[in-house]
Amino acid sequence: MLSSMPRIQVPSSATKGEIFQVKALISHQMETGLRRDNEGDVIPRKIIHKFVCRYNGADVFVADLHEAVAANPYLEFYLRATESGRLEFVWHEDGGGVYSLAHQLLVAQ
Amino acid sequence: MLNVQSYQEEGVLQETPATGLTRRELFLASAAGVASVTIVSLAKAHDDVDEAAELIKRLTGRIAIASDRLHLVMPRTFPNGYTVPLNVEIDSPMTESDYVRYVRVVAPRNPLIEVATFHFFPQLSQPRVSTRIRLAEPQDVLAFAELNDGTLLMTKTWVDVATNGCA
Repeated sequence: MLSSMPRIQVPSSATKGEIFQVKALISHQMETGLRRDNEGDVIPRKIIHKFVCRYNGADVFVADLHEAVAANPYLEFYLRATESGRLEFVWHEDGGGVYSLAHQLLVAQ
Repeated sequence: MLNVQSYQEEGVLQETPATGLTRRELFLASAAGVASVTIVSLAKAHDDVDEAAELIKRLTGRIAIASDRLHLVMPRTFPNGYTVPLNVEIDSPMTESDYVRYVRVVAPRNPLIEVATFHFFPQLSQPRVSTRIRLAEPQDVLAFAELNDGTLLMTKTWVDVATNGCA
């Protein structure tokens, strides 16, 4: 199984008020819990069930993901540049696993 | 206050028997090794707005209005059900007085109908998102969005997939 490597694509700078695109991708099986292994046992569900993006500590985009999100979940979303600061990306996995990345955004007035 | 309410509704939803029935049936069918496609095709439904509105009413307890402010863009046909592109966007100024709280996507003919819910924040995010989803069979995918005044908007789009993405 692939190790869950999160990746983001986000501009390093933006002008104040500008809408910018964020792409977030994580390698993950997104095991639905509907499949069975060779012995006929149900393979337990293990998915990324939540993704949160924070901008200077405030939630700016949150996604609740269910079994029907494809493996290696990809999200593309749009934020407004308000001020320079830290963008934080957190993926929550079933069973309590957490993967995160942070990015410094420079906002020109 | 309203925000809290909408989260609570989602929490309750997980255990709502009305929605659990179809899912449980389909889950059992697939767990038993029966091709869920066969089961579902027996119950093949005529897709109309009424049916979609009925499902949303069961999920949220509220009435949704079909709206062209909500854009759900997916390919009409796609070769596999494992990674079907989905783009959803809502026309909204995203000001403090007029914004979209969330948009929720459901695939009514999947063994587990919930796909994803995306939450947005006034002034900070745009109600526009793309991802990739699994579809078990050709179906109408539904999206419904809640505005800050509590209005529910809905739309749907037909997607034909050649293979089962949930197997």
